[in-house]
Amino acid sequence: MRNALWSLVLLLLVSACGRAASDGVPLSERRVRVVATTSIVADLVHNVGGERVEVEALMGPGVDPHLFKASAGDVAVMAAADAIVYNGLHLEGKMGDLFEQMDSRGRTTIPLAELAVPDTLLRESALFQGNYDPHIWFDVQLWIRAARTLAGELAGLDSTHADSYQLRAQAYVEELLDAEAYVYAHISRIAPPARVLVTSHDAFGYFGRAFGFEVYGLQGLSTAVEAGTADVQALAELVASRRIPAMFVESSISPRGIEAVREAVRARGFDVRIGGTLFGDALGGPESPASTYTGMVRHNADVLVNALADGVRS
Amino acid sequence: MTGFQLEIQLTAIIVAAACALPGTFLVLRRMAMMSDAISHAVLPGIVVAFFLTGNLSSPLLIVGGTATGLLTVVLVEAMRRTRLVREDAAIGLVFPALFSIGVILIARFAGDVHLDIDAVLLGELAFVPFDRWVVAGVDLGPVGLYATGVVGAITGLFIALFYKELKLATFDAALCAMLGFMPTMLHYALMGLVSATAVVAFDAVGAILVIALMVGPPAAAYLLTDHLHRMIGLSIGLGATAAVAGYWVAHVLDASIAGSMASIIGLEFALVFAFAPHQGLFSSWHRRRLQRWEFARKMLVIHLLQHEGRPEAVRECRVDHLQDHLQWEREFAGHLIRQSELQGLITREGVYLHLTAKGRSIAQEAMVS
Repeated sequence: MRNALWSLVLLLLVSACGRAASDGVPLSERRVRVVATTSIVADLVHNVGGERVEVEALMGPGVDPHLFKASAGDVAVMAAADAIVYNGLHLEGKMGDLFEQMDSRGRTTIPLAELAVPDTLLRESALFQGNYDPHIWFDVQLWIRAARTLAGELAGLDSTHADSYQLRAQAYVEELLDAEAYVYAHISRIAPPARVLVTSHDAFGYFGRAFGFEVYGLQGLSTAVEAGTADVQALAELVASRRIPAMFVESSISPRGIEAVREAVRARGFDVRIGGTLFGDALGGPESPASTYTGMVRHNADVLVNALADGVRS
Repeated sequence: MTGFQLEIQLTAIIVAAACALPGTFLVLRRMAMMSDAISHAVLPGIVVAFFLTGNLSSPLLIVGGTATGLLTVVLVEAMRRTRLVREDAAIGLVFPALFSIGVILIARFAGDVHLDIDAVLLGELAFVPFDRWVVAGVDLGPVGLYATGVVGAITGLFIALFYKELKLATFDAALCAMLGFMPTMLHYALMGLVSATAVVAFDAVGAILVIALMVGPPAAAYLLTDHLHRMIGLSIGLGATAAVAGYWVAHVLDASIAGSMASIIGLEFALVFAFAPHQGLFSSWHRRRLQRWEFARKMLVIHLLQHEGRPEAVRECRVDHLQDHLQWEREFAGHLIRQSELQGLITREGVYLHLTAKGRSIAQEAMVS
């Protein structure tokens, strides 16, 4: 039995040498095959790559990237890809390390956040230098950087169509700026003291920094650690004492924790509403208003305005 | 079949063998949940190693995880040796404590870092072919295959060298100690290998598959044989079969590979549990039924022998009397009489029953014993 196994291993080693990732057709004569990790990254690749790129997302709509499990089909998709685009900064956990190793062996892997955003613009961990909040897409300006970086990377990969990537990226940046302007225009209806965002986990730090919101997450960055009773009580105390009208749940995280906070707030004689569902780590399905990145940005702004703006219903 | 498919299945087979070896002893020592305990207990080691290095990608995090894995093993063994708690309770006491220390450390000091077991340790079987070992430009194959192969080979070597001692320590620790084989040292060495195997395999293929492979195939093999070496062989065989079958199920359904393999292991165990030749549900039921018939047949011949040739025989040795006297249902009695006739134990004349010579000797034998 063991002998048979080891001879299989040897056989495999011989066969593994000289295997190529693509099927030999040059890139200029076919579309570029790109694998994206999250649905948000896939949306960016789709917008910058356009017709030239065939993009497949490993994590579908509504999947928490911290808890992703690969399927058998994902292996074939990854093996056949010309490039793998991911967020990086440990958003994808151990997969990120894997992609780095693949890159050092000559496969093209593109860590968007790590390439596009200089460390000075990243939110760094208070205690542990060099560890950053990966959720850069909540700041539209940072996502514009990601779009430009991606265009440069794809242009390098598929040089015969370099111009088309730059043009598409420029056009998409305009769309992103429109979406950002939409957010500014809408949140101006929320009085500055009411610009407080209470959510399930700490994903909205960049949003708060960009648009002037105070952000409180029930859970930390890692969704594995459950919120403690002290966290719930502290958050409830904050909500009740500042009379914050609404809290928000996230599409890819269970609303249970936020509901516990709501109960604790009620016990303090104040009622807080669940203001709605924000899209955080994953886009919505094709029928959802948040099925694209710009749609998600607008949707989140609408949800915030509806819940927090006094007497204004947009 | 592509190279990647072959590599995934091969890695799964190697992991199955590497897990079945220590898993067999875990099941025999009633410590099957050790692998599950280790999968949680690695957290504080990872967290502390992160506090020291500040780098989520550092290999020291895995080293830290292995260290707390070993600590789990030592603590469980220390508690078990007090004889105040049993193995399962000791496991259940140790790992939640260690795990919660990790959770508290994260919540207290590293809430703004993406630090958890999934992000640092747990691998994914599907991605094994992408993490390759390249030396001087030559692709030698997936790292996970080598890592699990090496740890499996070390465990295999250890078991081969100390087979007799391990067998004795597992089944009769007291005798083992008396003969001077140091069962405690053997136990620590074996549990150390369990911890190393678990952490290396978690890193390569993820937690659920490793736990399933360490517990499922040995538990099924235990129902199929009473010989240690056969149990080890069967465990490896069942695990490897589940690995290959699970891969193709995942391929057809486009589902999680590790999940499909773990499901096949569950299915294998269910089949063995139901249909194992000696200890399966079906054969135990069949055996109990046979015993019931055997017992009833003896009752019948003894009853007939006791009244044979006596005046009351006319009353006692009638078919309809058996129902009252031995309190048998009519149908059961009829069936039993027909069977006993066929086996040549009794003959029947109308409503009267007579013993044959064979029936008489069986009755006499049964009364003596």
